[in-house]
Order: sequence, then C-alpha cells, then structure tokens
Amino acid sequence: MIEAIDPGAASHGSFRARSLIALRGVSRIYDGGAIAALRNVDLQIREGDCIAIVGASGSGKSSLINILCGIDYPTSGHVIWGGRAIRKKRDWVWLRRFRIGIVFQEFNLIPTLTALENVELALLGHGMPAKHRYTRAGMVLGHVGLDHRPHHLVTKLSGGERQRVAIARAIVNEPKLLLADEPTGNLDSASAAKIADLLFNLRELTGMTLVLVTHDDALATRCSRQIRLRDGAVVEDTLRALTLGSIAAKSKT
Amino acid sequence: MNLASLALRNLKRRPIRTALSILGIGLAVGSAIALMAVSRTIQDSTREGIEEIGDDLVVMQKGASDIFGGFIPEQTIERIAEIPGVARVSGELVAFAPGNSATSVRILGWPDAGYLWKKVPLREGRAPAAGERRVAVLGDAAAASFGKKLDDELSLIGETFRVIGIAGYSTLTNRGLVLVPLADLQEASYRPHQVTIAHVSVEHADDRVALGRVQTEIEALGNVVAATARDVLDKDRNFAILEAVSLAVAIIAVAMSALNVFTALVMATHERTREIGIFVAIGWSRGRIVKSIVIEGFLLCAMGCVLGVALSFLPAFAFPRIPTIGHLISVKPSAGLIAPVIAAAFMLCLLGALLPAWRAARMLPAEALRRM
Repeated sequence: MIEAIDPGAASHGSFRARSLIALRGVSRIYDGGAIAALRNVDLQIREGDCIAIVGASGSGKSSLINILCGIDYPTSGHVIWGGRAIRKKRDWVWLRRFRIGIVFQEFNLIPTLTALENVELALLGHGMPAKHRYTRAGMVLGHVGLDHRPHHLVTKLSGGERQRVAIARAIVNEPKLLLADEPTGNLDSASAAKIADLLFNLRELTGMTLVLVTHDDALATRCSRQIRLRDGAVVEDTLRALTLGSIAAKSKT
Repeated sequence: MNLASLALRNLKRRPIRTALSILGIGLAVGSAIALMAVSRTIQDSTREGIEEIGDDLVVMQKGASDIFGGFIPEQTIERIAEIPGVARVSGELVAFAPGNSATSVRILGWPDAGYLWKKVPLREGRAPAAGERRVAVLGDAAAASFGKKLDDELSLIGETFRVIGIAGYSTLTNRGLVLVPLADLQEASYRPHQVTIAHVSVEHADDRVALGRVQTEIEALGNVVAATARDVLDKDRNFAILEAVSLAVAIIAVAMSALNVFTALVMATHERTREIGIFVAIGWSRGRIVKSIVIEGFLLCAMGCVLGVALSFLPAFAFPRIPTIGHLISVKPSAGLIAPVIAAAFMLCLLGALLPAWRAARMLPAEALRRM
C-alpha cells in the first residue's frame, strides 16, 4: 500500500512533499494475541496531508491514532518520523511536546483548570517564562474563537467550547501533525460543523498535516485522502483531488 | 500557572481528603515534636535542678542505673573533702514518698548546717538550725500541693515534719522538693550513714584542668564516678531509656505521616490516572509528572508540618494546667527539636510521594486515557 498513491501531490500541487511520519509493518496485539487491533500496517503520511481514517467500530482507528502519537506502542513494526525510526520514549515525549498535537473525542481537559490554564498546560516544560505562556495561550484561544471565555472553568463551557479549548491546547505548540480522534463525535450537529470548519481552517492557515478519525462521511470527504481500516488492516487508501470550492460546498451540506 | 499551583489546585479539589491527610501528618509531626520535647525537657529540667542546688561536680555510685539509684557511704564524703582542690562537699540522700495526688514527692536529706542549706532561696521562714530534727523546707509547688504553710505539720514516710521554710526555686523539679535534715531521712528510709549522691564545689572550677584533676582523684577513691551536672545525666540509664523510647515513638509517628502522604497520593494518582494520561499526551515527560506529584506530596507535608508544629505547642500551654502533670513535666518545643522532626518528615514524605509518582509515570498513556 505504501507509495501506491502520492497524497502529497493533492496537498501541494505538483510539489512532492516530504514524508512526515510513516508506519512500517506495524501490528498491535492485545491480551497475548487474542485481539489484533492493527495487523501489519504500512502507511506513509506526508507533510501537509489531510487524511480521514474511517472504518467501523473496532476496526483499529483509535489504535492507529494512538500509535501515530506514541501514546501506545506497536507490538511489532516501526514508526518513522522524518526518516528516522522512533524507538525511545523520550523521543515521543519531544514529538508530542513540539511536533504532534492531539484532539480527543472526550476533550480530555483538566476539569479544575480554566480554559486558558488548560491550554497553558501544554506549554509547561518549554522553558518559557510564565508571562509568555499566558500570552500565547490567550492568543491561541483567540484563534479558536474563545477569547471571550479564557478564565472560565472548562466544566462551565459547552461541548463545542470545550473542544475548542482542546484544539487550542493541541495547536499551541504549532505542531506539524494534528491528530484528531473523532473530534466531533460528542457534539451536536451545529457544534460539530463549527469544530470541523475550525480544524480545516486551521490546517489551511498553518499548513499542518491533519489526520482525523471519523465516522462522519461528510467530514471524511472534506479530507483529500481517506484511509479505510477493517479488522486492523488498511483496506483502502484513496486520494481525492479536491478544490477549495468543492470543500466549501461540502462544508455547507 | 506552574506545577505548584497545579498541585495546590489538585489538593483543593478534594478538600476533605486533603484536610484529613494534613490532620494526620499534623498529629504525627506534632506528637513526635511533643514527645521529643517532653523527653528533652525532663532531662533539661532535672539537669537544671541539679545545677540550681548543687555545685561543680556530682558524685554518684559507679554502675548505678540512675542518678538516684546508687548509694555512697558517708565515709567517702569525708575522703572527698580531703582531696586537694575540693572547696566544699555535701552528701545528699534522695527518697521518694507518696504526695497528695497520685504522684510522688522527692525528698532530699542534707547534713545539718551543710553549705547546701545556705544556698536555698528561701521565700519564707528559715533553714534548720544545727541539730534541729523533724523539720522541713518545702518548695513552693510542694507547699501548694500539700496545702501547707509555715509551722504546719507534714506527714511523710512515716514521720511528721514541721514546716519551717518555703523555698522559691526556679526550676520545676526543685519547686516540688521537700528538704529535710539528712539524719531524719537516713533514719526514715533505713539508710544509716549513706547518701545517694555528693555535691562537690571545686576551687578554680573554671579551670578545666583543675576540675578534671579533682574528678580523677574522686574516682580514684573507687566505686564512685564524678561528673559535672551537665554530664551526669548522660550516665543515667533511665534517661537513656526515656530518650530512646521518645525517639522510637517519634520515628513511628513521623513514619505514620509519610504513610499518610503515601496513601493520599496513591488514592489521588489512582483517581487521576486519566489526567496523567492527558499530561503524557500533551508532551509532559515522566520526570515532570513525577515532579508534579511529588510537589503535591510536599505541599501536603508542609501544611501538615505547620499544623504539627502548632499542635506541639499545645502541651506547653495545657500541661501546666493539669495538676498531675503540671508540677512534673513541662514541654518546651525548641527550634533544635522541631528542625530534625520536620526534616525527617519531609524526607519520609518524599519517599511516600515517590512511589505513587513513579507508578503513575510508568503507565501506558493510551491505557491511562481509557480509564474513567
């Protein structure tokens, strides 16, 4: 499946983008072999890609996302970032701190903290002065449309607002790769549409690579590449040549 | 926001558990300080008492388990007096008798017209005259405890004494004393020609060499040891046992505080497994996670220690108001006692925090995020 298509071409016209992250023969087995969440997956993601990972429940989508951000490890196979296999946990820590942002379906915010503090959490350990952290977190909250509620506890925010905080936290480090696991799964349709627009707009603005797991076909078709998983294996990897016009048209439907 | 404010937020999130943990640490630290203080104060008070009454050297029976547990023949006192450099010497017989309350009273017998009588800080009355028998001088606390004043009669150890003086000693132990002629006490306690200890005044006592020489010559008499009042209690087995018991109980108490931190943090990290998964997912290192949990443990410990120090001063105010304790024990927590207990508490709390922190940092993040 690797190199069968060239997703980078869709994102960057005729320019052949560099590989950002790749999986080589990745399997993830649980319970001593009873459950195979991923089976020998080969996958290449290029800089600027916009990818939807689709598939039925239990097909291995979340396992794939977890392995792509290093919060779970393959039972066999390698994950390669920028051409180099990532073998050490501390390399993953560095990548998640500076290169990879993650958005979860359940938001995964710290309930005792405000929106601003939740975003600031991702900047702790950067050696950045507190004042800069505060300013930057506030600025990014502004980018996601939450500059009016930075000091509210996240428990006081609506689902859509919470997901905006989660997105702000994921992008505050200006990641090259944004992974979103069912980012609209817990939202009503109006909020889901806004969050989807926000994600695609951010990607357009920053040029970051976006990989999202979704059950929503409408959302998946807004991505230039779709990867379908079944029983832990990639069964389809398609590239769509989408124009900005068609994306806009789909976002309205 | 920083790790400390995050830790503080986590503690505020579970106010009851945090309060109980702080209380547990506070009680443990407070008891440890108070116990050590009681032990230290008893020793200090006894030492000060000896210094207030006696002189440069105290002589006691060699091998006696405690300062009041040995006996010296009066002949030895006479031989000490003959040693060059000895200015004055006086024997002292010590006995204990039931007091008015559940506690006992310490009775000291001094020779007629001995120099120790001249040092008594009399508040009222007088010291016994030469050859005067069956008379007593009471410390003011003893007088108050027995409810006696001048010329009252006092029955002790099967004898009746007439109160002829009230002494105003400054130390707690001496304020509870009863002073009687040596002959009366020897007779009443069946210890003829014996004393418990001897107080020795040395010429040029400031000269350590001269003092050491006299000390050596006294010990050369055989079967006795001589020491300054400051050092004499170091040879006292009872005080050694008291100190060892206090230290052991203090260590247990401080270890309990570490256990408190440990259980509080084990529960907290267990409940926050998912949060720890979030920290990992946003790029926190294992070290940062450990640090954040350890800071939480340190905050618990710090608050517990503040409470503990405050609690340790309670006995200092309460004991003097309890009759059965007040005239025997005073508690004075000092910086010298508080500092090592706090240091030990922090060390143990660090250990108590490290294990749950280490466990939390080792969790597989994806697994942690799946937890509710």
